[in-house]
Amino acid sequence: MPDAPPAAAVLEIRGISKRFGSIQALDDVSLALQAGEIHALLGENGAGKTTLIKIMTGVEQPDAGEIHVDGRAVRVGSALEAQALGIAAVYQEPMIFPDLSVAENIFISHRDRGRIVDRAKMRRDAAVVLERLGARLDVGAPARGLTVAAQQTLEIAKALSLRVRVLIMDEPTASLSAHETRRLFGIVKALRREGVAILFISHRMEDVFQIADRITVLRDGRWISTRPAGEVTPVSAIRDMVGRTMSDLFRRTPTQLGDVVLEVRNLAREGAFSGISFAVRAGEVLGFAGLVGARRTDVGLALFGIAPADAGEVLVDGRAVAIRNPQDALRGGIAYTTEDRRQLGLLFPLSIAANITLPTLRRYLSRFGLVRRSAEAAAATGFKERLRIRTRSVDTPAGQLSGGNQQKVVLSKWLNTKPRVFILDEPTRGLDVGAKAEVHQIIDELAHEGLAIILISSELPEVIAMSDRILVMREGRATGIFARAVATQERLLAAAMGQAEAPAGTA
Amino acid sequence: MTGLFRRVRPEQVRELTLVFILVAVAAFFSTQIPNYLSARTFTDISTGLEVIAVVAVGETLVVLTRNIDLSVGSVVGLVAYFVGTLLANNPGLPAPFAIAIAIVIGGALGAINGAIVAFGRVPAVVATLGTLAIYRVALVELSGAKTVTTDSLPKWLLDLPRVSLFSLGDLDVRALVVLAALVVVVFQLVLQYLPYGRRLFAIGSNPEAARVAGLPIQRDVFVAFLLSGALAGLAGFLFLVRFGNITVVAGQGLELQAVAAVVVGGVNIFGGSGSMVGAFLGAALINLLQQSLLRWPAVSAFLQDALLGVLILLAVASDKVILERLRTRWVRARRRDDERAAAAEQAVPGA
Repeated sequence: MPDAPPAAAVLEIRGISKRFGSIQALDDVSLALQAGEIHALLGENGAGKTTLIKIMTGVEQPDAGEIHVDGRAVRVGSALEAQALGIAAVYQEPMIFPDLSVAENIFISHRDRGRIVDRAKMRRDAAVVLERLGARLDVGAPARGLTVAAQQTLEIAKALSLRVRVLIMDEPTASLSAHETRRLFGIVKALRREGVAILFISHRMEDVFQIADRITVLRDGRWISTRPAGEVTPVSAIRDMVGRTMSDLFRRTPTQLGDVVLEVRNLAREGAFSGISFAVRAGEVLGFAGLVGARRTDVGLALFGIAPADAGEVLVDGRAVAIRNPQDALRGGIAYTTEDRRQLGLLFPLSIAANITLPTLRRYLSRFGLVRRSAEAAAATGFKERLRIRTRSVDTPAGQLSGGNQQKVVLSKWLNTKPRVFILDEPTRGLDVGAKAEVHQIIDELAHEGLAIILISSELPEVIAMSDRILVMREGRATGIFARAVATQERLLAAAMGQAEAPAGTA
Repeated sequence: MTGLFRRVRPEQVRELTLVFILVAVAAFFSTQIPNYLSARTFTDISTGLEVIAVVAVGETLVVLTRNIDLSVGSVVGLVAYFVGTLLANNPGLPAPFAIAIAIVIGGALGAINGAIVAFGRVPAVVATLGTLAIYRVALVELSGAKTVTTDSLPKWLLDLPRVSLFSLGDLDVRALVVLAALVVVVFQLVLQYLPYGRRLFAIGSNPEAARVAGLPIQRDVFVAFLLSGALAGLAGFLFLVRFGNITVVAGQGLELQAVAAVVVGGVNIFGGSGSMVGAFLGAALINLLQQSLLRWPAVSAFLQDALLGVLILLAVASDKVILERLRTRWVRARRRDDERAAAAEQAVPGA
C-alpha cells in the first residue's frame, strides 16, 4: 500500500489530554486524518476511544492540546461547531428522531433551506442523498422502527447532506448482519473515493483489516502506534493493545473448591446472547471477559431475572430454577451487583443501614410492621466491620461515602440476602488503586467462605488475577473458557476479538 | 390490510377516533336533552370553544418539547383583568390595540416561564406551578379584590361575541370562532412548514439526539413558552369578551382543561408527536362535554372536573397501552415489508 505523501491532514489533533476525576482518559494523544483514507482506531475497553470521539465532535472539551482542520487551529466548542467544520459521527446506536420522517431526520440540522420547509423538495433531496448511498428507504415514513443498519444509513445520509469531510464511525458493524456489513462497507468506500476522511472504530478485527488504510492503537489513554494496514497483523495489533502491568494487582490465595453450585445450560435471550453454558463451584471465581458489546452484563441480568432469558436451563445445587424476576433469583440464592452503582446500586440520600437492609427489610420488622431500627443498625454494623466500611456511623447517607466504601455497602446489601451465587458486574469500575485492592481482598475472602462468584470485568489483568477460570464472550456468544494457568491477556483478547490464533511468545 | 395499516400511522388513528367520539357524545346527549340538536346548541358550543382552543394550541407547542405549561389559567385571568381595566378606564382605545396589549402581556409572562425552564433549568412542572400561583396572586394584588363589570366595558367589546361572519341557514358562525380556528390552522402550518416546528418535534422526540444534532434547544424551548404565554394572552382577551365580568378567579382551572385537551387530542405527554388539529379536537370534545353537562340535569356541575380528570387518565393510559401496541405492530409490519423488499432486491441480479 503506497503511503501517499500527506497532503495537509483534513483533521489533526495534537497533544490532546483529558481527565475525568481521578482517571486520565486521554494523555497527550495526536492523530492525523487524511482526505480519502479509512483510518481504523483500535483499543481495549477504557483505552480512550470514546473520549476522543467526544472531543472531535465538540461534546467534550480537551484539558490540553489543539485541533486543526485543514492546517488551521480551531475550537470545536459544540456539536454545532463540529458540524460547521464538516465533522460528523455515526454511533453504534444511532441518534435518530423516531417521530420524524426519514427526510426530516436528514435535514433537521440544516440552516440553509429557507424559512419555509418545502416538503416535496425535501423528500426529493432526501431521495437523492439516499440514492448516492444506494439505499432504499421510504423518505416519507417515520424513522421509528428502522433497523439499526437503516438508521446508520440515515445518519450517514445526514452527514453527507451536511457536506461531511470527516466521518467518525463508532462500532458501526457491531449490530449488523454480514449482508448489512457488506453494504455499509460499500458506502464507506464510496465516501473514501469522494475524499472523505473516515475514522473507523471497531472491535472486529476482520472488519478492520478488510477496510482500513491505516491503523492507530490507543492504550490506557495513550497513543501507541499508527501504521499502514499492510504492516499490521492481528497479532501485532493485539500486542499493541494489551500490555497493562499486573504487578500491583492482588493475588488470589488458593481456595478449596466444593460442589457445583450454579450450572447454566444453553442460556439465551433473543437479540442479546445465546448458547451460554458454564458451571461454577463453591469457592470458585469464574471471570467473564469480553469487549464492549460482548453482552456479558446481559447474562448477569438474565441470571438475576432483570432481563430474563427466554431459553436454556439454570440449576442451583442441581435443581432447576425458573428465574423470571429478581425475587425468583434471590429465592434461588443468586445475588447481583450492578455495574452502574450511581444509577442502580444505591439510594444516595438514605443511610448506609437503610441501603443494606433494603432487599431484606422484612427480616427487620416488629410484630406491628414497623422497622426495628436497632436490629437494622446491628446488621449494618456487622457488615461495616466485616467489609471494613470506613464511616463513623451506619446512619451516614450512602452518598457521602467514597466510591470504594459505596461499593462495600452494595456488596453488604446483597451478602445480607445470604446468596450461594454472587454475580459481581464491574465491581471495581471507577475505584482508585487502594479501593480496588480492598474489593479484591473481599472477593478473595468471599470465595474462601464458599460462595460461587461470577466476576464480570472489562479489565483483563483484573479478571486474570482474580479468577480461577475465565469465560470469554464475543457478540453474545462464548468463545472459550480458559483456566487461569493458560490465560494470558493476549489469548483472552484474541478470543474476545474472534481471532482463532493468539499471539505466541507470552506465558 | 397491511398496505392500509402501513399508510395510516398510529397517531392518525387517534385523530379519527376522536371525531367518532365527538359524534357519539353528541348523539348521546341528544337522547338526554330536549332540543339538543339545534342551531343554538352549535352556536353555544362553538363559542365556548374559543378560549380553550387557543390555550390548547399554546400548550401543544410546549408539550411537544417534553415540557408543560401549568400557568396558562393564571395568565388568562391576569390578562383578562388587566385589559378589562384598561378598557374600562380608556373606552376610546382601538380594538386592535387592546388585542395587541393582551398578546404582549401574555408573551411577557410566558417569557418568564421560558427563561426559568430553558435557561434556569428548572423542571417545567415546578416552574410553571410556581408562576401559576405567582401570576394569580399578582392578579389579586392588582385588582384589590375589585371586579371588572360588564357595564364598565365599551360597547364594541360587548357586541363582539355576537358578530357573525356568515350564517349557514340557522347556524351562525361567529367571528371569534373563526379567529380561534385561524389560530389552530396557522400553528398547524407552523408545525408542518417551519424549521422551528420541525425542531419542536425533534427536541421532544429525542433530546439527546437533538443536542448531538446541534439544535438550539434552549432557544426553541424558550420560544415555545413565550408563544404559549402569548396565546394564553390572546385567550385572556377572548375570555374578557365572552364573560365581561372578570373576578380574581377568572381562568382558574383552565390549565387542567388545556392539558386535558392536548393529551386527549393525541399529543404525546412525553413530547415528540401530536398535531394542532388533534389538540383542537381534544378541546372540542372537552368543551362539548362541559357545555352539555351544564344542561344535563342528571349530573351535578361538580362532577365536571372529575370527568376531566378521568378523561386525562384514559387518554394517557390508552396512549401508553394502545398506541404502544399499535406502534409495535406498525414497526413489525414495516420490518416484514422491508425484508421482503430486500429479498426481492437480492433475487433480481440472479434472475
